[in-house]
Amino acid sequence: MRFMRLFIIAVFGVLLAVAIGSLPAFGTWGSREVAQYYIENGAYRTGSASIVNAIIWDFRGYDTMGEETVLFTAALGVFLIMRRKQYGYYRKVRK
Amino acid sequence: MDTIVKSVSRLLFPLMLLFGLYLVLHAHLTPGGAFPGGAIIGTAFALLVISYTEQDVEHRLTRSELIDIKSVAGIILIIVIIRMSHLLREEFLNTQTLFSLWSGGFTLLTNVAGSLMIITALVMILYSLVRG
Repeated sequence: MRFMRLFIIAVFGVLLAVAIGSLPAFGTWGSREVAQYYIENGAYRTGSASIVNAIIWDFRGYDTMGEETVLFTAALGVFLIMRRKQYGYYRKVRK
Repeated sequence: MDTIVKSVSRLLFPLMLLFGLYLVLHAHLTPGGAFPGGAIIGTAFALLVISYTEQDVEHRLTRSELIDIKSVAGIILIIVIIRMSHLLREEFLNTQTLFSLWSGGFTLLTNVAGSLMIITALVMILYSLVRG
């Protein structure tokens, strides 16, 4: 089991090293096709003049939806953990 | 809290609401957006909760209402982002004139729903932390 853990860590380490090696050099950026596409067509594809808003809520809407899910879960978790025992929903359920 | 703090926070509360609403509703035109706008509106509620007692605020905006608002906003967000933005992008609210208030397609709707998510999350956490 211990060797298994070491093996898994070594595999991920090698993968990480390979991935870092293929990053663009510091101060430059690699493929700029996507960025260029957003800049050129963002306003006309989404109708939104603010390009940040167009990217966050339209092109990468699924990412933002995941963020909202995280927020929802965090708020519900705090709400459930920090509740008073005799309050609201909990009291109705217990009765 | 003090009378001065109460008066000043009562005075500041609508202004903070107005500024947050401006950031949310103009997110597709100017810098801003659902996240900072929602944070500002949530901070306005935090100011009220701190300066007054928590019961005074909760009398107006109860916890079950918060959960209802949050759920509706989340459902709107999921439906819009998953389906509509691919199907009806050109037709809905999209007058094709940039810099007008009713441009922006679905981003206006998603901004409002997302800001509701942020506001309700902040207020829910605030209620839970202030008075269990």
